[in-house]
Formats: sequence, structure tokens, C-alpha cells
Amino acid sequence: MSNAIIEARDVSFRYESGLSDAVSHLTLRIEAGEFVAVLGRNGCGKSTLAKLMNALLLPTGGEIVINGLQAKTEDDCYEVRKSCGMVFQNPDNQIVTTIVEEDCAFGLENMGVEPALIRKRVDEALSAVGMSEYAHASPAMLSGGQKQRVAVAGVLAMRPKIIVFDESTAMLDPVGRRDVFALARKLNREEGITIVWITHFMEEAAQADRVVVMDGGRIAIEDSPRHVFSRMDRVLSLGLDVPEMMKLAARLRAGGVRVPNDIMNVEEMAVALCQLKSKT
Amino acid sequence: MPGTPFEARALRDVSLSVADGEFVGIIGHTGSGKSTLISYFNGLERAKSGVVFVNDVDLGDKDTDLIAVRRTVGLVFQYPEYQLFEETVAKDIAFGPTNLGLDAAEVERRVVHAMNQVGLDASRAKKSPFDLSGGQKRRVAIAGVLAMEPQILVLDEPAAGLDPAGRQEMLELIEDIHRSGVTIVMVSHSMDDVGRYCDKLFVLSHGEIAYQGTPAEVFAHGDALHAIGLDVPECAKLAARLRKEGFDIPEGLYRMEDVARAIIDNIGKGGKA
Repeated sequence: MSNAIIEARDVSFRYESGLSDAVSHLTLRIEAGEFVAVLGRNGCGKSTLAKLMNALLLPTGGEIVINGLQAKTEDDCYEVRKSCGMVFQNPDNQIVTTIVEEDCAFGLENMGVEPALIRKRVDEALSAVGMSEYAHASPAMLSGGQKQRVAVAGVLAMRPKIIVFDESTAMLDPVGRRDVFALARKLNREEGITIVWITHFMEEAAQADRVVVMDGGRIAIEDSPRHVFSRMDRVLSLGLDVPEMMKLAARLRAGGVRVPNDIMNVEEMAVALCQLKSKT
Repeated sequence: MPGTPFEARALRDVSLSVADGEFVGIIGHTGSGKSTLISYFNGLERAKSGVVFVNDVDLGDKDTDLIAVRRTVGLVFQYPEYQLFEETVAKDIAFGPTNLGLDAAEVERRVVHAMNQVGLDASRAKKSPFDLSGGQKRRVAIAGVLAMEPQILVLDEPAAGLDPAGRQEMLELIEDIHRSGVTIVMVSHSMDDVGRYCDKLFVLSHGEIAYQGTPAEVFAHGDALHAIGLDVPECAKLAARLRKEGFDIPEGLYRMEDVARAIIDNIGKGGKA
């Protein structure tokens, strides 16, 4: 039995002004409860794919099924978006009201949800993202990372099965970035929400369950982070980077130090080097 | 927001100096005062107390010609591509120099030169800037500032939002501008980036300068930097960790090639198990 929560079969999308497909014959399956990172250079079709996942765009070829629902016509959009929420890059572009809790309630109000239930869901959502004490604050007073957490709360209040983060940490400082990433990881582990995490930061992708690398509207590589990044030359040729420790490992191996070639972080490198040293 | 209950002091007793020809990095978390600080560098805002000198000219002096100062100090904001507005790339870049009252031939020369400096092909000159990719748009915006031929270029997070290859290209482009003789002040969140390119770093925290010095001197405060929400480059972290494990690795190493060499010296041929 299939447990796919997102299934794209031979999906293509071409913008009206486009000369070629932004997403081209792409087939991808994401299981319920997965945390999948999507990488690729600017213009590779990542954001288009994200918009196909919550029916902001409808495929011009092939089919995409989200939580059992095929996104085919405008009428399907609202149902699809109830299952799949989205958090964008710029928090200022997705905050619509002047009070944090009203912003979180915006989606539910538009769905015509009963006020008492809205109250409950908004409180729960703000608590889940650690922003309860700011419920009555103005979003303008918050840092970028806090605004992004409010945006996540607004999405959470809709109780989605999937959340797509489209470069949601790109404009944040290192602390804000860690916070928002940790929040997504927590929602994945504790609430079982499927996460699609689009990013340019390799260290974030390194912590995903699976990495999908896109190039020219297609999937170029799809594997565990360790397997993806250990193909260093290929990853670099796709305009991406690999974790620093993997580059260091390659340099050390060239210098005769036999560390494994799939080291992902400082801790793994330190352990490998200590083992080698104890043998000398 | 002065005069409201939300008034807060963004900077406190900050003193720093940048020498002609340096490449300086300013780092700090959101709200640390970075953007406020750089807005003083070309007189966009005036300090409530204290003084700012550019080329020995006091920016706080009522008689100072701030227009001239802004010709000397070019400021590139975050996501500068949002400020593009003209019909063509060339017109957008020409906007500043035209307003300086330069003649058409000089404006044209500057536009061509600036496009060349940022690596934009001449064939793009007549294109709409809005048809370009994000990275290309950002180059147009930077070219617009370069066309003013500033002596000092201040950039706020110039590589934000770019993919790794684009990031690398942008930083190399800035390094090229630096080599052509322009003094660079770069605000960044990335310790790796400032470590690679800058001669000198200033770390801001809560409106004060917490640390300053060469990258090696600043990265030596690894744990303290972590506490104020910043990180040191991965290789500096590894070096510190290995020192604790009894490796003989000199303090102050943070570049990959240096750390790799030190590790190879420690393990040597014995590592060939």
C-alpha cells in the first residue's frame, strides 16, 4: 500500500511567458512523515515545484497528487492548500495584520471556522512555535526569525499534513536560521508533519532525511544527504556546495590521511582523526 | 522609533576606524546595530552623539556637503535588486551619474565600466533589468553604485539569498573591486565569508563592539561568539576541538588549507593504517 503524501508523476510546468518548462517531466514521491530537502541553483525550478505542491500553480503536464487529492483545476486548490501549507522566504510578504494572533487567525477566519475553535487553534499554534508571549505584539516589533515563526504558526493553525518551506531561512541571521530549522524538525518529529525544505544552506540539507537536487527543472540527484554530498564533484558542478568537513576530508585524503570520504560534520571529523592518531 | 514607547538605543559608544584600501567585515545578529552603523558612514543618518569622519571630514558638521560624502561612500543595501526601476539596465546604472550632472559621454563611459566591473555582458545594456535573474539584477544594482565611482563601498549582506555558486561569484566580484583600489566594508552573517576575504573584523552585539581584530584574533573567541549567536568557521571549530584532544595545532588557524596542513603534520604517514 502506498503511503505517499505527495506524488508527482511526469509533472511539467511552463510559465505563460516561458520559453521552456520551469519544471520538466518531474517524477517525485514523498512519503508521509518525511523531511525532504530540495536543493538547486537559482532558477532550477525549486520554487515552481513548491508552488505545484500546494496548488498555487497547476501542472501544465503530468499529474500531482497531494494527500490523496489531485491538483488539476482551480476548484481543487482550496482543499489542497488545507493539507499543504507554505512558508515563504520573506516574512514581511506573508504577514497581513498588525497583531500577531490576528495574523495567525487570518487563514481560519477565511475558512469560516467558529470563533471558539479559532481561539483554541491559534493559542496552540503560537505555543508550538514558542511565540505565545508575543500574541498581542505587533509583527513589526519582531526579529526576522520571530516573524518567520509567526508565519509558521499561521500555517500550523490550519492543521496541514505537509508544510513547504521555500527558502524560509534565507533572510535570517544564524540564530533565526537555527530556530526556524529546529522548529521545522520538531514539527516533523513530534507532530508527524511532512516537511519539504527548500534551501541554499548545505548544513540544513545535511540534517534532512532525504535530499533532492534539482537542475534545469528536473531531478538531478535524489538520495540520503550523506550519499548526495559524498558525490562532491557532481554536487559542485550543479552550482551547489558540500559541507566544509567533506571538503576538508578530501584535502586530508589527498595529503595521505585516510579519513572516510563521507564525513558530514566537525564531530565526525574529530572522532575519525582521534582514531587515526591513536594508531600512530 | 524615537519619541515612542518603542524607542531603543541601537548603538552605544562604538569606536572604529577603517584605513584606506582595507577590506573590513562587520558581523552581528539581527538587531545588533549593523545597519544603523553603516547608515552613518555616508551621512544617511546622523549620530545622536559622537562623531563620524570620512576622509577627515566631520559628517556631523552642519556645513559638510553630504552629497559629496555620498559620492565618496557608496552604500549597497540588502537585496538592492528591489531598488531597480528603469526601463533598461544601462539607464538604471546611469541614474546616479546623470544626477551628478556629468555629460552624456562621461555617463556612458561610467556605465560601460561599471557593467564590466560586475561582470555584466554589454549585450544586457538595452535589456529590461526585470528580465534578468536575481543574481544578475543584484549586479545591476551594484553597478549603479559603482558608476558613482566611490572611494569606499559599503555592502549590507551582498550575498544573501544567492545559491552557493552565485554567492562565491558575488564575493569574488567584491574582492576584484577591492583589488582595483576601493575600500570595502561588508556586513555579513557568514563567518566563513568574512574569514576568507576580510583583513579586519568588527563583531557587534547589542549595539556595542564585542570583538575586533584580524579574523584569527576574533575566531579565537569561539565559545563567546557562540553565546552571542554567532559561529566561527567549521575549520576553526575543528581546530579547537582537536587541540582539546591533544593535537598540536597552533592557535589562530581557521583556513581550510592551514588546518589541513596542521592535521597532516600531526598524523603524518602514520595515518596510513
